[in-house]
Amino acid sequence: MKKALVVALTLALLPATAALANPNVAEKKSGIEAKGYVWNSQEGGEKIEALKLKGDVKNGKEAYEICGACHLPSGSGRPDGTFPQLAGQHSTVIIKQIADIRAGLRDNPTMYPFAVTLSDAQELADVSAYIQTLCIPREHGMGSTDPVLLKHGEELYKKECTSCHGKTGEGDKSKFYPVLAGQHYKYMLRQVTEIRDGKRRNANPDMVKIVKKYSDHDLDSVVTYMSTLNMPGTLCAVKGAGKKK
Amino acid sequence: MSAALICGTAFAGDGAKLFAEKTCTACHGKDGKTPLMPDYPKIAGQNIKYVEKQMTDIKSGARANGNSAAMKGVMVIVTDAEIKDLAAYVSKMKP
Repeated sequence: MKKALVVALTLALLPATAALANPNVAEKKSGIEAKGYVWNSQEGGEKIEALKLKGDVKNGKEAYEICGACHLPSGSGRPDGTFPQLAGQHSTVIIKQIADIRAGLRDNPTMYPFAVTLSDAQELADVSAYIQTLCIPREHGMGSTDPVLLKHGEELYKKECTSCHGKTGEGDKSKFYPVLAGQHYKYMLRQVTEIRDGKRRNANPDMVKIVKKYSDHDLDSVVTYMSTLNMPGTLCAVKGAGKKK
Repeated sequence: MSAALICGTAFAGDGAKLFAEKTCTACHGKDGKTPLMPDYPKIAGQNIKYVEKQMTDIKSGARANGNSAAMKGVMVIVTDAEIKDLAAYVSKMKP
């Protein structure tokens, strides 16, 4: 009783900011908004450690079980864009994003507690290796079918996006550029908008430079085109593929 | 809207399905009492009205303290009718 009173008093006397400290919310690390921000810094940390390790797919499958609650067992995420499609994503990309969320460099309060409960760099490497082996489910959220919009998007994509993300949206594993093919329209639109507006704090400044000049209409167009990309040889086989939606 | 409400009530038996589909299991555990983090609540058997109110308030942003930020991210995929169904299901889970 006395102890409870002391705790209550202490809490009441603490400044508001200290009382807000929550172990389940990432402490923000300075990102793109800060001067001297280096994208994909190679200075130590979990990311570097995990990248050096060989991921064990079998262990990764076990660790993925908890991820599957939101991203679904197939890795397909949700067409409404709440959760991204993960299947077939480069392991480097998964490692970087989870490590960034864990380090407070990419804000994601829903994902953060899961990122911190991954036990160590080895588990991070394992789960990323497993995700990379998954085939891309055939069904995913698409943009509009308006041919004019699609044409505009195709022009933009071919002009400014292919050099990094590739003609078929295959990205680049060694450069940490994500696979775009098979990703949900709504998820990509949200991310690219946040990247343009400086809200995705771990973004690549080279990409920010490109999309900065894009209007909402441009973004919608290019993402609509991106949602039609089809990367050869990565889609799940037709029979029994993709499991749930 | 009213149609959605009627449907929601009609599908109250699908609480278990909703509980998994709306990703509740990820943080609160399949049984509603094995939370991911030590300061996430065990919710199995919680009062129906309380659960409904917390979900509604977290969704609207009226409640934004503690760990609500984590849950707000998924509340966009839960409709008002589904909140009622989930609250009913959670209240009947074995504590």
